[in-house]
Amino acid sequence: MKLLRTELLEAAEFLPGQWLHSYDAAALAAGAHAGQFVHVRTPDYSGLVLRRPFSINTYDRLEGRITLHFRITGKGTEWLARMRAGERLEMLGPLGRGFEVASRSRHLLLVAGGLGMAGVRSLADEAIAAGRQVVVLFGAASASEVYPSSMLPDEVEYVVATDDGSFGHHGRVTDLVPRFEAWADQCFACGPTAMLAAMAELARGRDGRLGVARLGRRGGPRQAPLSSAQARRRSWLQVSMEQNMGCAVGACLGCVVMGVNGPQRVCREGPVFAADEIRWAGWP
Amino acid sequence: MTGGVEQRAVVDLSVDLGRGLELRNPLLVASGTFGYGVEYGEVVDVDRLGAVCSKGTTLKARIGNAPPRVTETPAGMLNSIGLQNPGVEAVLERYAGRWAGWEVPVIVNVAGESVEDYVAVTRRLDGHPGVAGIELNISCPNVGRDGLQFALDAGSAAQVTAAVRAATDLPLMVKLSPAAPDVRAIAKAIEAAGADSISAVNTLSGMALDRVRRRPLLGNTYGGLSGPALKPVALRVVYEVAQAVRIPIVAIGGIGALDDVLDFLLAGAVAVQVGTAVFADPLLPVRLAEQLEEWCRREGVTSHRDIVGGALPARRDRPSIKGVEYRP
Repeated sequence: MKLLRTELLEAAEFLPGQWLHSYDAAALAAGAHAGQFVHVRTPDYSGLVLRRPFSINTYDRLEGRITLHFRITGKGTEWLARMRAGERLEMLGPLGRGFEVASRSRHLLLVAGGLGMAGVRSLADEAIAAGRQVVVLFGAASASEVYPSSMLPDEVEYVVATDDGSFGHHGRVTDLVPRFEAWADQCFACGPTAMLAAMAELARGRDGRLGVARLGRRGGPRQAPLSSAQARRRSWLQVSMEQNMGCAVGACLGCVVMGVNGPQRVCREGPVFAADEIRWAGWP
Repeated sequence: MTGGVEQRAVVDLSVDLGRGLELRNPLLVASGTFGYGVEYGEVVDVDRLGAVCSKGTTLKARIGNAPPRVTETPAGMLNSIGLQNPGVEAVLERYAGRWAGWEVPVIVNVAGESVEDYVAVTRRLDGHPGVAGIELNISCPNVGRDGLQFALDAGSAAQVTAAVRAATDLPLMVKLSPAAPDVRAIAKAIEAAGADSISAVNTLSGMALDRVRRRPLLGNTYGGLSGPALKPVALRVVYEVAQAVRIPIVAIGGIGALDDVLDFLLAGAVAVQVGTAVFADPLLPVRLAEQLEEWCRREGVTSHRDIVGGALPARRDRPSIKGVEYRP
C-alpha cells in the first residue's frame, strides 16, 4: 500500500460519459494484481469529503502506468472527467485482495456487466500473458454502451449481450453463461449486485447440471478455511463487489457486505470474494 | 541573532490530559476513523500522533448494522457502523501487544448498553499493558436510543462516569453528544463524577435517501453526521463546555485544516481529534501538528496552550490546559 501523487498522462471519452484515464504511477503498477483498486483523493475536502475507489482497470509494470475506467455518475466523477493531461491526482493503493486463479486453470470465463468491465479487465491481460484462454461475456443496456472489442487483447473471445437487443444477444449477460460453463475452469464476475447474485445462483447449480463428480480423498476433500486464498482458488466463481467506502484500508468498517460469516469489508477481505462467502439472500 | 545562525524558538506542543496521560502534541485521531492504529500500516507513522483513539469497543463482539453504512453528504458524511467490533477480549489479544510497543498512547474507546457493560469493559482494560486511557463513548447515535441515553441526561452521564471511575485508575475521557439540549449540564455532571477530560463531539444523527429506490439510503436508516458540516455545531459545544468545566477539553468535529485547529483552541479545547478528514488524507493529523508548531513559532508563542480559550468571554479563571494531578 502506497500513498502517492500520480500524473494524468492521457484522458479519452471512449463511450458517451465513459472515460479511460492513464496515469504515471510506477509504484502502484509495480505491486498491482488483477482485481485490486485504488482510492483517489478528491480536490476539495470541504466539498467532496470522501475519496473515490476505482478498480485498477489495467496496469503496465514496464511503462509504470495504470489506467482507470469510469462513468460520470456524480460530483466526484464529474470532477475527475474535467481533469486534463499533466494534472496530478493522489492515490492510495493498490488495495484489497484480487482474483485468485488456480495454477491448473486453463480456461477463464470473465463476466462483466457495464462498468464491471473495469473490475475484470486486468485479469484478461494477466491470463493471456500466462498462456490461458479467456472468454469475456459483457452485458450492457444497449449498443451505445458496449465496451469496444478493440480495447481487449486480441486473444480474447468476446461475446456481448444487450438488454434491448441492439447489439449481440438480446437479453442478460447471464443468459450466455451456460454455453461456457462446461468449458470454463474458473469464472470471474463484476457488475451490478443483481447480476452477481444471478451468477452465484448459476454457480450453485453448476455441478448438478454438468454431472461433475465430487472426487477426492476418503472423507471428502480437505477443506481450506473460507475466504483463504486456497479456498478462493478452488471456487469456480469469484465475484468483485462494490460498496460505499470510507477509509479503504479496513479501519472504518464502512464498506461491508454481508457474508455467510458476518460482515466482510470490501476493501480488505474483498473486493473479490468467492461466491460462497457472500450471503446472497435478500438481494433482488 | 549571532554568527548568522537563526535561533529556532522552542515550541512546546505537549498536552496533559490528567492522571499522567501526557501527549507529545494535541493532534489525536478520532475513534472509528483509525481502526486500532494498525490499518494504515507504513503509510502513517503513528508515533508522530498525539494519541490514537481506538474503534469503539464493547464487552461482547458486535456484528454492526446492515450495509450500506456510509455515504457522502454535503460537506460531510454519514456513518452507521453500529459499533461492529470483536469484543474487548479479542481487541486486547490482537492489538494491545503492538500498542505497548508504541510511543504514542492508545486511548481505548469504550461503548456499552448499560452501566454494567461499561464497567466490565473498563475492568478488563484496567492495568493492561498498551492501554493508556479510556474514552467513554456514551454518545453513539447508531445503536438505538440505548447508545445515546447516557449523553442526553446529566444524571445518567454522571452515573456511568462515576461507575467507570470507581473501576479504574486509567485516565478517563468522556465523549459528549451534540444532541444534548444543554451540554453544559452534562459536562458539569461528568466532571463532578470524576472524568479527567471531555471529548466533544460525537456525530449528530441524520439521514440520506436513495431517490431511485425511494427509501433510506443507509441500511440502518439513520447515520451519524461528521465532517466539515459538523464543525460549527462542535465549536458551539466546545465554547459552551469550556465555560462550564475545569477539566481539559479535546475537540472533534470537521477538523480539516490548521484554521480549524486554531478555532477549537480559541474556543477552549487544549487538543483536537481528526476524524473524517483522515479518510481523505491519512497524513493530515501529523501535518497539522507540524503546521501548529510552525504557527506558534511565527506568532512568537511558546506553546499552543497559550491561546486556549482566547475567544471565550472574559472570566477570572481560564479553561484548563492541564489535567488534574493524580494522587493515589
